[in-house]
Amino acid sequence: MVITFIEIFLLGIGAGIMGSMLGLGGGIIIVPALTILFGMSMRTAVAASTVSIIATSTGAAVAYLRDRLTNTRVAIWLEMGTALGALGGALIAGVINQRVLYIMFGLLLGYSTYNMFKARKQELPSGIVPDALSQKLRLGGSYYDKALGHRVDYQVTRTVPGLIIMIFSGAAAGLLGIGAGIFKVPAMDQVMGMPFKASTATSNFMIGVTAASGAVVYFARGDVQPLVAGPIVLGVLLGAIIGAKLMVRLRANLIRLCFIPLIAYTALTMIYRGVKWW
Amino acid sequence: MVVREDSVETKHEAIELVLARLLRLGSLVAAALLAVGLTAMVVGLTGIAPRLITAGLLVLLGTPVLRVAAAALIFVRERDWYFAFFCAVVLAALATGILLGRAGG
Repeated sequence: MVITFIEIFLLGIGAGIMGSMLGLGGGIIIVPALTILFGMSMRTAVAASTVSIIATSTGAAVAYLRDRLTNTRVAIWLEMGTALGALGGALIAGVINQRVLYIMFGLLLGYSTYNMFKARKQELPSGIVPDALSQKLRLGGSYYDKALGHRVDYQVTRTVPGLIIMIFSGAAAGLLGIGAGIFKVPAMDQVMGMPFKASTATSNFMIGVTAASGAVVYFARGDVQPLVAGPIVLGVLLGAIIGAKLMVRLRANLIRLCFIPLIAYTALTMIYRGVKWW
Repeated sequence: MVVREDSVETKHEAIELVLARLLRLGSLVAAALLAVGLTAMVVGLTGIAPRLITAGLLVLLGTPVLRVAAAALIFVRERDWYFAFFCAVVLAALATGILLGRAGG
């Protein structure tokens, strides 16, 4: 039992480091690892993964908030979208064709992959003109970049399109149980014109709230097994603290380079899932 | 406008620091409960161990929700009504989702 605890704990540390640096939940690692390597049921794995998303978010957010990488105003504006979208997704779950959704979201992520690849050499966005709503809500931000050694002031644009994408991403999370962070990062980075590091840190901040509503349901159903979720969450908390310390010192280009294969992989799996039973 | 903002900044601690403190407290309490629970499990206290771990997981689960509520209070205090309203929308959607989820699950 001790050995299994330690193995699950180490898996958690790895997932926590990766998730916190990229603004993702880490389910992309945790779910396959628990089901394939440890032979656990999908229900147990998904429940443990959902609780560990909260751990990734909470553990890393402390450092990101202190460094002002997290844009709390953008986060709260977009959380409205994810929360309402998740609710809407849950309500229409019975009447919608999941395959179409998988393909739609898969293509959307494929397009994001392409854009992210095009922007791979761009360290910071330039020439972003804030729209009227962004100015009214004072969404612009500023942080000290430890990798570049100077302060970065930035503006936020396309405030409403960003919110609309969040509604869809919330619905995707509610309907398909995926996409804690993978839609949020490109929405902020590519659509709203935020710096990549601010996008991943803000995504990290938001995913805790998205996951909390899902986790309550898993708790109520009794899917959260303390002996599985316990060690993994403890590992993820530690990993997220380490990951956040690393991320603030890294260049945006390097973080983006790690993000691209993951988003490409997710896009392909989603399209595959949609096509498989066509 | 800018002057008023600055005075708000100096009168109260920045929202980032307040939320950071709240999240740190939540993760420390959760981590402590998890660590004690797992240790208890290893030394054979199988009765209390799962309960301690579950308590730790529940503390962790409550932390982001409390974070939204805390942000709402801070925005109200700063008379930032738009953002106070946004937080209220998030809380209401979360509460509805939890009620629906429990009923459906």
